[in-house]
Amino acid sequence: MRRARGDGAEESPRQNGTAGRRRGEQRADSGDGDDAGGGLGPADMPEEDNDPGLRREIRSKYRDLINSVQQNREDMLSPSNNKLHEVLEEANKLFRDVRQAREAALDAQLLVVATDLGKEKASQLFVEGNAFDPSAFAEHLLSFMGLNRLEEGDEEQQHGGGVDGYLPQDAWHRVAERAERCFRTAPCFHYMMGSFHAEPPPPKQRIERQRKAPSKEVKRIMPTQLKKMEESQQEATEKEVERILGYLRGYYADEPTSPISYYEFVIDPKSFSRTVENIFHTSFLIRDGLARMYLDESKLPCIAPVEEGEVENGGLSSRKQCIISISLRSWRELIDALDISEPLIHPPTSQSVSQ
Amino acid sequence: MVVMLFDEGRSETLMGEEEDDDIPFTQPSTSQVQKGLEKLTPAQVDQKTAEVVQYFLMKDQKKIPVRRADLVKHVVKEYRNIYPEIMKRTARTFEQVFGLKLVEIDFKNHVYILINKLETLEGAPVRSPSNPKMGLLFVILSVIFMKGGAVKETLVWNTLKKLRVDPGEKHEEFGDVKRLVTDEFVRQRYLEYVRIPHTEPLEHEFRWGQRAELEVSKIKILEFMGELHDRDPQSWSQQYKEATTPSSSSQPSTSSQR
Repeated sequence: MRRARGDGAEESPRQNGTAGRRRGEQRADSGDGDDAGGGLGPADMPEEDNDPGLRREIRSKYRDLINSVQQNREDMLSPSNNKLHEVLEEANKLFRDVRQAREAALDAQLLVVATDLGKEKASQLFVEGNAFDPSAFAEHLLSFMGLNRLEEGDEEQQHGGGVDGYLPQDAWHRVAERAERCFRTAPCFHYMMGSFHAEPPPPKQRIERQRKAPSKEVKRIMPTQLKKMEESQQEATEKEVERILGYLRGYYADEPTSPISYYEFVIDPKSFSRTVENIFHTSFLIRDGLARMYLDESKLPCIAPVEEGEVENGGLSSRKQCIISISLRSWRELIDALDISEPLIHPPTSQSVSQ
Repeated sequence: MVVMLFDEGRSETLMGEEEDDDIPFTQPSTSQVQKGLEKLTPAQVDQKTAEVVQYFLMKDQKKIPVRRADLVKHVVKEYRNIYPEIMKRTARTFEQVFGLKLVEIDFKNHVYILINKLETLEGAPVRSPSNPKMGLLFVILSVIFMKGGAVKETLVWNTLKKLRVDPGEKHEEFGDVKRLVTDEFVRQRYLEYVRIPHTEPLEHEFRWGQRAELEVSKIKILEFMGELHDRDPQSWSQQYKEATTPSSSSQPSTSSQR
């Protein structure tokens, strides 16, 4: 039990019995040289009691201790952290110099804070397996959210003391999606078609009427033009196909035994585009079964007209399809290889299509 | 199922300031309800029920609970004498037509919420764009639950800060975080934000709100925790026990359907 020093200085209200506090030294007997107050001898004690500087210092140190516990509470909670012990030891030392009520009050406050923390730490120990560390939780959650942890710290700055890195835009959406599964929330009610518009429609009608007038006239012109175009196109193709058929039959009739080389037939050595057109038109003959293509002994394509009587017997079953393509380069190579100097299909004289 | 208190003839005071000029709502007795029904056509009763259903659906958009006083004043009106019958039918409609549960979360002040009767299935496609606020709420609820049911607010703020959500700053996604957590979530009854007495400076505690108790599955939270920490949920024995014990306060008691 501590004895207060005589002479009018307030008694310390502290009593024995608080856990963890070591009592001991009777101030009267010992002459501790290493007091927090600084090495005054026993004879100077009364003055020390009233020295404002010393008092302030003690109070300030208490406040520091209290603050350090409050600020670092979470860290100190961790089972591996022993800071609380150190704080209490500090407090013990400080307490030796407590003389006045103000300091004692601070001491009491520190005690409240420290024991509160101690209680929590104790409860953690009791349920060791159930301990939940919110910091670890936060870390795991950041990973779940897709945090892109950076290897080195960027100049990109400091996010609330945590790991540097970029959180994706939809980070919280990810959490929400997973979290919503734990909820039995009633779905939100909303109208499917939205609410009706109070705006009047008349303005739109006016615009429509204006637009209708010109479009009608335009339409009148259009049909006549289109008809002409379509006819000319169709006619041109048909005529051309027939013309080519004519050539084909003619050449075949001249020399029925000699096969007509396909490429010799279609290629116009003077015009690549004409050649392509010839291929195009010839394909109609093939499609309609009026001509046929085959490979000769040298595996070169040949073309021959189909006899009148054979047209229907050809039959769908024996028809095959193939795709023919020709490039400028192959066209020139063919001309060289086959030594084509004159087109077998003469260009039509009245041709208006550009070459 | 609606949990109702049938106070035979006892007058109830209405809560809130706006009800001053209204006649205090007295819960009618069963005989009074019978008499009231006799004077109305079935169509009228159905119509009124439908109006109440719609009122609830609209109010539920914001997840703000519905007070009986407001319901009576704005919707039920002159049908208040058959109020219990209307509520019974409303509850039945919600259950059978919408798959929702009408629950009274505050027996003293008569406050109702709607929750889903059905569980979300594991593999079910996400039905609507997720609300990020739910993610934030989930984090807070999880921390509270894992820590035994009540946590000091500083713990919540510190955890959120680690997730880059600072109550002191405007957040990109959530805006005024402090308001969202201590005001909106509380009004929606997802959280409780209570003062801790004798604290200097003033501190608060967070707990689960009544809506959370009804809507949120503790075992599912624990499962997610297990996934995140790569631990067996059962390893948190205390929390697991809490999650698997059916507690009477959290589940709404059912009344028999007529």
